[in-house]
Order: sequence, then structure tokens, then C-alpha cells
Amino acid sequence: MLTKHLLFILLILLSFSTLSAEMMPSGFFQTLWGASLESLNPAASEYTALETRLQLRLEHLGEIGEFFGRIDFLHDSYLNSSGRVDLREGYAKFPIGDKLDFKIGRQIITWGTGDLLFINDVFAKDYLSFFIGRDDQYLKAPQNSLKADFYNSKFNLTFVWTPKFTPNDFPIGQRLSFYSSQDNAIVGNLGELNFLRPEPTLKNSEIAFRLSKQIGNFSNCFYFYEGFYKNPVGAVIIDSALVPTFPKLRVMGGSIRGMISGGIFWFEGGYYDTRDENRGQNPLLINSSTRFMTGYEKQILSGLTMNLQYFANIMSDYDSYRQQAEARGGYVREKRRDLITSRISRLFYSDLVEFLSVIFYSPSEKDYYLRFYLSYSYSDELNLSSGGNIFGGDKIGSEFGQFGLNDNLYVKLTYGF
Amino acid sequence: MPNYIKVMQLPILLLTLLSMLSVKSSAQDALTAQEVMMKSHLAYYYSGNDGVSNVKMSIINKRGKERVREFVMLRLDKEEAGKQFYYIYFKTPSDVSRMTFMVHKDPSENDARWIYIPSIDLIKPISADDKNSSFVNSDFSYEDISGRHPDEDNHSFAESNETDSMSFVIESSSKEKYKGFARKVSYIDRNSFLPLRELYYNRKGVLIKEFTAEEIEEIDGIKTITVRKMTNHKKSSHTLVTMSSIKYNIGLTEEIFTERYLKNPPRKFMK
Repeated sequence: MLTKHLLFILLILLSFSTLSAEMMPSGFFQTLWGASLESLNPAASEYTALETRLQLRLEHLGEIGEFFGRIDFLHDSYLNSSGRVDLREGYAKFPIGDKLDFKIGRQIITWGTGDLLFINDVFAKDYLSFFIGRDDQYLKAPQNSLKADFYNSKFNLTFVWTPKFTPNDFPIGQRLSFYSSQDNAIVGNLGELNFLRPEPTLKNSEIAFRLSKQIGNFSNCFYFYEGFYKNPVGAVIIDSALVPTFPKLRVMGGSIRGMISGGIFWFEGGYYDTRDENRGQNPLLINSSTRFMTGYEKQILSGLTMNLQYFANIMSDYDSYRQQAEARGGYVREKRRDLITSRISRLFYSDLVEFLSVIFYSPSEKDYYLRFYLSYSYSDELNLSSGGNIFGGDKIGSEFGQFGLNDNLYVKLTYGF
Repeated sequence: MPNYIKVMQLPILLLTLLSMLSVKSSAQDALTAQEVMMKSHLAYYYSGNDGVSNVKMSIINKRGKERVREFVMLRLDKEEAGKQFYYIYFKTPSDVSRMTFMVHKDPSENDARWIYIPSIDLIKPISADDKNSSFVNSDFSYEDISGRHPDEDNHSFAESNETDSMSFVIESSSKEKYKGFARKVSYIDRNSFLPLRELYYNRKGVLIKEFTAEEIEEIDGIKTITVRKMTNHKKSSHTLVTMSSIKYNIGLTEEIFTERYLKNPPRKFMK
């Protein structure tokens, strides 16, 4: 079926190319192969990725606005069917008057200051893609939203309304194993997992605001989010079985980012308020928490950029959590979870070769995640890259410790057009 | 009596006029090297109040392999030889297509730079300590694109300045230690003040980089280098920049150079 679709698309493309070069869509073609380094991994396969994708971008610029579409045609060995069409973006963007911009449709939304860490950005993310070597752009998942930006000389205000809750994509045992607190073990290959998602009602839609103001070289923002945790960090009991859920969440926070002595400095904080939680009394819901991060990035040499970032997650009502968790047995987290991250990006060989590594290390949890790749631009069109994702930790229940058996290496070939 | 005064005054008036003229022409001759470099800086980097152009950058390495970057560049001057705004919208290659890049240039301190990556809706400020780093992997540095303020270097006329009827020949040396060059020889057109050729030497006196103006056209009454070339003698590579659809004084405002337009390219100025 997909083959037919592809043929059809290709025919359209060919007819476009004979019409005019202007209308020729752009995009890329990519093959990704990844394999697990651990033979004991309970995940369903030794391969973490076996996929080929064609991304097409189409743009139409009109008098009153613009349309933009980005579609992935994916052949993924993990899917039951032979292929999947994934609309990454499909939106209309138009201004109303001088001060108001609208963007409506399937889109990717990002805000906040962190490097691969997020506090006030509670938009959908795809950690599965992130951990198996897909391009960085796949860390951000699309959602169907209405976004309005209001600009004036004093401040900017952004409003995002997502009618239907969009959760994160996260490892569920097919390619990557994970820690199950119910089993107190690393599990994988569980088949379809059941989650209880919020009902798609108007009341359950997600709302986010950002108020921002540039003062000198510093960008200052306040944020508000009303919706749900994007990972299933809660549970309900249905027919005496625990079913993971996405608890109600409100986030309020702020950030500042700007230039200090030739480098970029950022600070961001936020309060994660678990709405249905009552001072840590409900053991099935995650406790509220205060989160903050600060970092600094600087170009050390021509072609060498480094950064250092510190992140903390401080649990509210920790004592009641601890009592409940100890009574249940298994993994008990610390009150404050610290995380230090550092990025090194180096360009070589007339900037045609790029080495990148990002290390995440938590001194409190004693776990780590190393992400690295080496990429070579053979030409403007052709890029070959290879990298890996290495996880580890003392405790199997910690954030990166649970992925300890998921170490993987991958190769990726991309042809852009 | 009044007539007499008038007759007496005439030669004085003439003399005064003549002397004024001669002062003016000798002032033209007596431009200092510093003044020539400042005029050149303004003619090259600050022409008009603002401008737009389509830029094609061909980067050719020592094996002759070519890479091409195409983008639209907008510029607005806030002060002559001072603060400037730059905006770049990338068209090709595919991996950078639709990205935008913005610079708030301030010669008295570090530039502020931002990049917007539309595929993840991310605005990222870029650490901008090293103005000598390569611009989009080409042989041009950031500073070659947006200009190095003449006050950062000492300038003097070279010996050949006397015999060169077409260009001023100026020797420059950086006041503070600078990675871009230790010594530079510039050939500045005597009429348009555009740089025709620049030779960059390192501390050992080795020629490392060479700039040449390949084509000059008059656009909206402003002499403009439309084809320029930078040769990197260390890497044996060169970059050819061809500018087309150039327009000056199109009415850009500071508002264009903000986050709003970084995310929403100002199409009406980019046709």
C-alpha cells in the first residue's frame, strides 16, 4: 500500500520538476541501522533501529499567509504494517493585524532555555527516537495545536491551546527495556502496554502561556502550563490491576538567558504541581516538585564549543514518598535529584566532520547517559554519521540506570535534496 | 567709494575662493590612511541605510569539490560605522533550508547572534566570542561578512601608494593580537573607496588569505561589489560570493531584527 503511495508521490514530484524548479519539494532520504550492545537485554529485538525514511517538505507562500507541510514516509521493521506515513508538520501561519500571528495545525513547539533538558517546555517529546539515534529534530514530537503570538513594544505573549492531550513517546520495551516499579525489575517485550489517557474532552485540553521580554542582551520569560504529565508517572487501580496514567499537572516558572563575557548563560526554574496529589498522601501519583537548571556555553576555539549545565529536581513532601516507597520495596529516589550535563561539539577538516558528545551524569542517583556521534558531510547532499547511546547506573530504578541494558550503536546515511 | 571697495574686493574674493578650492583639493590628497580605511569601511559595509540581496556562496576545496550555500541577506544600519543588524534566511542546502540567522552587531562589544532551527522550533543564541571563525563553513569569517572596525588596526600608506594611480595602498597591523591577521595590505579604489584586493599575512609574514573584488556594479547609484572572492592559502580553498537582486534603502525597521521575524521570515522584503 505504502509502495503505491510512494510511487504516486514520486510521479507528482516528477511532474512538478518538469513544471518548474520553484515548486520542487525539498526533503531528505535517510537510512538508520542501530544495534543493541547488550545480549541480555529483555527488549524484543537486538536491533534498536532498522528504518528508512523519506521526508518531503512542501511550502506555499500566499498573500495573507503561508502553508507548510513536512511528511515522513517511514519503513520501520518494528511496525506490523510495511510502512507508516507520519505528518511531522502541517500548518497554516498568518498574521491578523500588525501585532498578532497565528499558527494553526500540526506543529512542533519549543520554548525554554535548557540544552536537551526541559522544565517549562511541557510540549510533546519523543525520547524513544532520541535514544536510538534518530536526528535531533525527532526529540520534539508534533502536536495538533493553535498557537497565537501577540507582540507589542513592551512584551510578547504566546498562547498555545492543544485540544487533545499529546503524551511523550517513551521506551515501552520493544526496542528499549525499562524499569517497572510493579515488577521491581527491568522489563521488555511486553507487547502492547495499556495506558489510561485523559478523555479527549475540552476540559482536558492543554493550555500554555509564555510572557517574554527582552532587556538588553537578556531574554526574560514567565511560563504557565495547565495539562498533564507527559509520561505515565501515575497509576489508577482498575479491576484490581494498576494501570499507568498521566496525572494532572500545572507548571509555573520563569527563565533568563543572555550573553555574559562572550558566552551564553541561562537559568530556568519551575514548580511542577501535581493537581490531584494531596501533600504526598497518594502513593499512586507522583509528588509535586521544584525544578531548576543553569548553564553556560562558550566557543572555546574556532570550531570548538562547550557547555556545562546543572539541573535539580527537588521533590515536595519527600518524607511521605519515602515511607510509601520503602514500604513497597524497590527503588527509592533521593529528595533532590541532581544532574550535570556537558556538551562538546568539535568541527574538523574544514568543518566537514563534526564530533558531538553530550554527557548526563547524576551525582545523587549515580547514573549516567552518554550520547555521541561523528558525522561526515561527503557533499552538500550526502551525510554519513555514526554514533551511540550509552546508559548506566548503580540503581536499576533511576532515570538512566533503568536503560542500562539499552546501550546501542548506529550508522545513518542521509541524502538531502 | 562703494564702487572702489567692490573693485578692491573682487580679487580678494577670487583669491579666497581659489584658496578654498585648493584647500579642498589638497584635503582630498591629504586623506590619512586611517581616513581612507574608514571611508572604505563605510562604502563596503554601510552602503545605503539598509539593503537586501540574494547571496550564492560557492566553497571550493583544494580538490576542486564545490559546496553551495544560498541565502537572502537583510541589513540595517543603526549608526554609521557603528551598530548594525543582519538577518539571513537560508535556502540551500537541504539540511539548513528555512533556517534563519540574526546578528546584532556592536563594534564596541561582542555581537549578539541567534539561530532559529524551524524543524524543532528552536531559537538558540550563539556564543560569539570568536569573530574570526568561519561563516557557514566558507573561507569568509564572520568579520569578513560584517566588517572589522578600522579603529582596531593601525594604518599607514604603503610605498606603492605613490605610484598606484587606481588605488590607495594601505598597510594595516592589528593593535591587539588577532588571529585573523598580523598584517594586512589593502588596495582601495580611489573613486569608490571599495576594497579591490586585500592580502592577509600572519605573524611569520606568510600570506594566509586573499580577498579580491571580482565584479563591481552600480546599484541604485551605489557602487557595489557583486562578485567577491576569498582565497585561503593555508587550506588551498576559495569561496566565491555572487550577490544578485541587490536593493538599497528598502525601508527595513529594527522590528524586523527581533524574535518575531526570526521565526517568521519577512517575505515581503525577500522577493
